[in-house]
Parts: sequence; structure tokens; C-alpha cells
Amino acid sequence: MEIKTDLCIGCGQCIIICPVQAIRLIDNKAIIDQDLCVECAVCYRDAGCPVNAIRLKRLKWPRIIRSPFSNVIATHKITGIPGRGTEEMKTNDVTNRFNINEIGVSIELGRPGVGAHLRDIELFTTKLSKIGVEYEEQSPVTAIIIDKKGHIKEDIKDEFVLSAFIELKIPREKISQVLQIIRDVEEEIDTVFTVGIISRVPENNVDPFVKILSQQGFEIKPNAKVNIGLGKIWK
Amino acid sequence: MTHSLHRKGKKADLQKDYVILAMLSKGINDKFPDSRHRLIQIGEILNEYNPINILPKELWKVSPVITATYTDIKTVKKLIKTLKKEDLGISIVVSGLLEEIQKMVSKIDLKLHTVHYSLGIFGKKELLPSDKILEITTMCGHHCISPQSVWHYVQLIRDKKISVEKAAEKLKKPCVCGIFNLFRAVQILNKIAKDSS
Repeated sequence: MEIKTDLCIGCGQCIIICPVQAIRLIDNKAIIDQDLCVECAVCYRDAGCPVNAIRLKRLKWPRIIRSPFSNVIATHKITGIPGRGTEEMKTNDVTNRFNINEIGVSIELGRPGVGAHLRDIELFTTKLSKIGVEYEEQSPVTAIIIDKKGHIKEDIKDEFVLSAFIELKIPREKISQVLQIIRDVEEEIDTVFTVGIISRVPENNVDPFVKILSQQGFEIKPNAKVNIGLGKIWK
Repeated sequence: MTHSLHRKGKKADLQKDYVILAMLSKGINDKFPDSRHRLIQIGEILNEYNPINILPKELWKVSPVITATYTDIKTVKKLIKTLKKEDLGISIVVSGLLEEIQKMVSKIDLKLHTVHYSLGIFGKKELLPSDKILEITTMCGHHCISPQSVWHYVQLIRDKKISVEKAAEKLKKPCVCGIFNLFRAVQILNKIAKDSS
């Protein structure tokens, strides 16, 4: 993003609306800290700049990668979905992406609202890859993992984004190992992250992994996302 | 196009916060010529049940999902019943209190198919704003609402320069998905304004 300082009247609308506080007023002009700006374009779309001083910059590699990880309007080339995630469990009644013997794990770095460097992804992926996990192939994060050890492209590591979503699935018996990795990374990471667990509901409605979670000191929040099984494969 | 999973709030507050999402599966159901028509039909049904917010209609023709937000489980039950009867075959996800959703679906002879549980937030939580601010900002699943904009409008409410309803509308603007719950936002803004004055 860019603010034309010759046009800026210093009203501060863009400062208020920036989700990562990347804009400051210096000498009565709004200035964007380019290291902090995640290219979400919220200022461009919603600040209502009275003099149209906010501009979308033509981004070059590697900075251009910030946009699909931050701008909700940007449709990712791989997922075809605006936003950072994939269909995951939302269409599981049609795709069977997660079967009854599998658990899905979603780890969103930088969420809520703090942001993350893409290098933070490696803190997880290098450990997760050691235990053998299946990354969601449609995920934008999977697209930047370059080897089986979970490393990501070197030239994008310093890019700062609103959030990066690691999506994977594992056989049910590996859930304890993944939970341990979450605990380990929590100690070393410089940002926040959210964790979600996806599970097909067994016929008897009793999910055994719920017990494992509490045994390892994790608390399940009372609100969840529920696919209620109305989707069908059309003929 | 939505991250309705990690909405912050106490159980009593979350009782007034349910998000419905309808989604076409890419490469499977979206290949059929009438898939968009079916998705839009769902949008019309969601609209009939007076959502507090809904994905803007102009996006229904292009978005792979349609989302809407409701303030009570009774309404959600009624609309799910209608969706079941219409049998359009599109995946439906309900976000909200799991216990309530479980009761609701069993009453209309449906079953939970897949659940996405939230384990919450980890890491450097000292970087986060207060829980009350997060209750508002996490209602935008892509985190396009800034904490300082919440404070800005709280200040305007306290100075009687804007109504709380208008402030909630202003805060909603960067959230394009239709999952920002205006009803809850009004309640939270009132509380923050009262507690900080």
C-alpha cells in the first residue's frame, strides 16, 4: 500500500482502520511502515480517504506474497477461494476429506489480528514433518513448503502477513504428538496462533479424542463449527 | 470465506451468535450447471429468516459461499428445517455453541457430520488487546477490524457524537463476509463505553 503524501491532509482515517497499526502520522502526513504493512488493502477499501491518497502499489516478488495471506478480496491461485483457508470440513459431507479414522488440524499463525512472519510457519512444519503429517494440498501455506523436512522458500521468510493457515490431517493415533508440538512451539514463537481440531462424529456421538485433549491440558471452547450433513454428491 | 470458529465471548453472549455457511464443493458440485442457482436459492432462504447480517447480494453470483448471521438458535432451527425440506444438497455449516447446535439438529432428525473444535489462542497473548475488544474484532473472521477503530468509536459514543448502532455499522464495514454480528456489537460497545467512562 502507498499513501501519496502530497495529497494527504492528515485526517487520520487510515490510521484508525489499519488492522495491524502500520500507519502513523508524521508531520501531519500519514506514513505507512512498509515492514508492518501486510497488504490487506483495508485502508484502500474502507478508510474513506477524503482526498483519495491511498493507492494500491504494484507489488513485486517476494512482497506480492503478502496479499493472498492478508487481503480477503484476493482469491488465491491454488484454492480458488477468497481468503486464506480452504474448504476443509465445510464440505466434508461431500468430499470425505476427513474420514472417521482421521483428525484435521488447523493452526493459524498471527491470528487474531497480530500478524506473523512467514518464517514462523517453519517452527511448526519442520517439527510436524518429522512425525509425518499430510498437509492440505489446496492450502496456500502448503504451496510454499519446498521439501519433505517442512522448510519454506528462503526468499519469502521475512514477509509479514495478517495470518498464515497451516492445514493438515493425521491418523487419530498421532493427535498426542501434534498437541505436544503445539505446546513446544508456543514457547518459542513471537506471535499468537489459533488451533482448531476437525473430527468426523462417530455414530455413537462420543468422540474419543476429546478425552485426550483434556489429558494433555487443552480446553475445548464451547463454540464450534458444525457440518450438519446436508451436502450430497449430485448425480 | 469465513472463519467463524474462534469468536470470543462468554457462553451467555455466544447464545446470541450463530453463523450459517452454505458452500459448493470445488470440482464436485460446482461443476453442475444449476449449482449457482441452488446456492442462490439457499441465500434467499437465509434471507427470509431475518439475519442480523448476510453476505451482500451482489456477491452471491460469484462467491463459493453464502453466509448469514442470526441471534437465536430457534430461528436457526426453523431455517435448517426449511433447508432440510428443500434438500438442495449443498453443504451447510452452523457455527455457534456446540451444545445448542447438537440439541437443535437432533430435534429435526439430523446428525452432526463433522465438527471443527476450537482450542483457542496460543503463543504471545500479551500482544492481544483486551477480551472485550477481541469479542468485537473476532467477529470478522479475517481480522479486518482494528482494535483502535473499536476504541475510536467507543470514544465517539461516550462523547455522544455517534449512536451505538451507527458505530456498530461503521465497524462492520471492513468485514465483507456477512458474519459480523451487529446485535452483539451493540451490546459489547455499550458495555465498553460504560465501563471505560
